Amino acid sequence: MVTKTEETQLNTLENQVDNGGGGAWEYLCLVRKLKVRRSDKVLKYGLSILNDVKQRSSLGPDEWTLYEQVAIAAMDCQCLDVVKDYLKVLQKRFPESKRVGRLEAMLLEAKGSWKEAEEAYSSLLEDNPLDQVILKRRVALSKSQGNISGAIECLNKYLEIFMADHDAWRELAEIYVSLQMYKQAAFCYEELILSQPTIPLYHLAYADVLYTLGGLENLQTAKKYYASAIDLSGGKNTRALFGICLCSSSIAQLTKGKNREDKEGSQLQSLAVKALEKDYKQRAAGNLPLLSSALKSLILLP
Amino acid sequence: MGIGVVVGVLGVLILFHAAYSTIQYRGLLKIMEEEFSGPPMNVVLELLLGLVLSMWAGLTVPGNFLSIHPDSEENRIVSLPANLDFMIFNHRGRVFPLEMNVKLKN
Repeated sequence: MVTKTEETQLNTLENQVDNGGGGAWEYLCLVRKLKVRRSDKVLKYGLSILNDVKQRSSLGPDEWTLYEQVAIAAMDCQCLDVVKDYLKVLQKRFPESKRVGRLEAMLLEAKGSWKEAEEAYSSLLEDNPLDQVILKRRVALSKSQGNISGAIECLNKYLEIFMADHDAWRELAEIYVSLQMYKQAAFCYEELILSQPTIPLYHLAYADVLYTLGGLENLQTAKKYYASAIDLSGGKNTRALFGICLCSSSIAQLTKGKNREDKEGSQLQSLAVKALEKDYKQRAAGNLPLLSSALKSLILLP
Repeated sequence: MGIGVVVGVLGVLILFHAAYSTIQYRGLLKIMEEEFSGPPMNVVLELLLGLVLSMWAGLTVPGNFLSIHPDSEENRIVSLPANLDFMIFNHRGRVFPLEMNVKLKN
């Protein structure tokens, strides 16, 4: 999970490295720790470290981790020649390693030779049928071939065994959302909220899915989850604030004429509007008229 | 850090001195054959001073407090990690090759 402090740290370090201020190895470590996808930069700075024999040997055993990281980044950037060179080095150092075998299979995947990659993964699975990473790679393999239903099937099978893997649940939720299967996606997000209840982004995503599903009951639940996302993020999540506004306005439209006094709801919505206005005044004063006209169209502002 | 350690050691020494004074006082009472009614004033003062000093040192030396609020800057999660286990290479990066001389030198 990337917290606010870590994000600022990453950004300053990236700026420093981009401007030639040094600290490339710390940057690469941080990228690895936070699991962010900055393949082009990892490739650029990782290569410069690995090409410098002095710098490389000063890393000690971390050198091989860096090789793996840069190799994957190079696959992501389609620099397959570099990957091949790296794999040769790694194979020489670690013959018969499963981890190197996985990298080879990933190279096949990057080349687009799906059949060979599938065979390579299957042979790796024969030795260890419960290798989580390889099982996940197979899901990614079907996804990159465009076989989304196959990926869902694979992922469901995987989740039957490894129910506590929240990354997999998130992937499944995102696939379902991309297919507009919102009910299934909502189930996945419920699992995620259950396993990690303090992460506001899951509450937010669940609320988004519920809002998209529509219906009075879903809208009211969505509003509650937007509120909990605001609670967990200290009111600094603009999307959740907008979510409250949208939910309130659609609930008001649905219950129009039923004349139900919903005092708490209207208070929440006016608070959200106030917080949004304050946030816009602070950070983007030029867009304030845009915000007020948008809120007016939602009949939230007089 | 250095001051904190010194203050902590001082606090513990004062506590030890208070213990020593108490033992001495009880010995004195035994000789004078009087009843023990309460510790003498200087021992109480030493105990209070020792408590304050050791507590201050105990709170400052090990490091700063970490926030437990979910909405503080250190704990507020702003983005989820890219799901790298499910990373696919079949994307538009293929059409935009990197313009740099990437070569492994050995």
